[in-house]
Amino acid sequence: MASSTSLPQVQSDNRLLSALNIVPGILLLAGIGYAAKILERSVNAYAKAHHWTFPNIEYVLWAILIGLVISNTLAVPKIFHSGIATYEFWLKLGIVLLGARFVLADVLKLGGISLALVVVEITLSLALMTFLGKLFKLKPKLISLLAIGSAVCGVSAIIAAKGAIDADDEDSSFAIAAILALGALALFTFPAIAHALHMNDVSYGLWAGLGVDNTAEATAAGALYSDAAGKVAVLAKTARNAMIGFVVLAYAIYWSSRGQAETVSNKAAFLWKKFPKFILGFLFISLLVSFHSFSKGQVGSLGNLSKWAFLLTFAGVGLRTNFREMSQQGLRPFIVGALGEILIACLTLGLVVGANRIWGL
Amino acid sequence: MPPPAPAPPSPAPTVKPYSLSLDTWAVIVALVLALAVRFDVLKNVPW
Repeated sequence: MASSTSLPQVQSDNRLLSALNIVPGILLLAGIGYAAKILERSVNAYAKAHHWTFPNIEYVLWAILIGLVISNTLAVPKIFHSGIATYEFWLKLGIVLLGARFVLADVLKLGGISLALVVVEITLSLALMTFLGKLFKLKPKLISLLAIGSAVCGVSAIIAAKGAIDADDEDSSFAIAAILALGALALFTFPAIAHALHMNDVSYGLWAGLGVDNTAEATAAGALYSDAAGKVAVLAKTARNAMIGFVVLAYAIYWSSRGQAETVSNKAAFLWKKFPKFILGFLFISLLVSFHSFSKGQVGSLGNLSKWAFLLTFAGVGLRTNFREMSQQGLRPFIVGALGEILIACLTLGLVVGANRIWGL
Repeated sequence: MPPPAPAPPSPAPTVKPYSLSLDTWAVIVALVLALAVRFDVLKNVPW
């Protein structure tokens, strides 16, 4: 009897403890993010005062760099780990609040173009990754995970697919490591290529949203170019994320038809379960703004709250990228991933250039 | 012949706490923040 009455007490204590566990990590994210903002301002002011020709390094890059230096030179103490993992929450919160900076008409126009490009991108990426995986004789389920990760939305898609196609832990950690390592590289290569090609904000944002796999990295790659490009990158990436359920369902049906995964009995429930719900929040906030539920100043405040949430995300992107751990995952999946990503980046660049000619982005 | 061993007591029923997904939490927190901004609880958030 005593045990049944004390059970809720134990559970509430556990919840309180786990809530307290995340505080140090969140403080670390906030500290790095704020340091990045201060560095952006002070380095630029110093360079200007001394008449230096110094590239304008934005807070996004500083936050990622500080995180990268910490995670790759010091061992981040365990006390911070669970709080650092909340960067996914800040990312989603930032995306929902970013809805305030889009009028619904923009969402429909840009989102429509993005969706059309996303369908082409997903088809090409799945075909390409499957071909490369077979060429390099990777395990079939690892090929599926790499294909889903590079076609849809990186780590979330791999995690969603892992259970659905009954893949093993080793395959999914290979695929996740490859996608994360390539996402980290994309942070630096995408903006550099776009600057060389003199891309406009909308074209670049679309390219980053279509070509960079993980949502956090796609958001950061967009923001590294410009604020406007960051907005478009999030929208394009969100359109891509919306397809996660359909792609994972197709793979689940394929593997269950081969007797290597459980049968999906209720497809509608499966799609709803896999659908990223934060997209609905983003659309809802955008709808409220479109119907003038907020004043101009309030829209600005919501946009700034979104930026603060993204600041914590960017710090988390740097902190969870550990090149040593990634290199231990094996070379072949990484080579397949890298080859595939380079080709997908070229294909998506071609798609965006084509869309720019057709729709005048 | 010894009597069959009594069946082990069934474990106490565990109450599975209802937990929301990360996405749902993000939407809820965003809506609370939006309400706070709309009703001027949060004013002029700086950047």
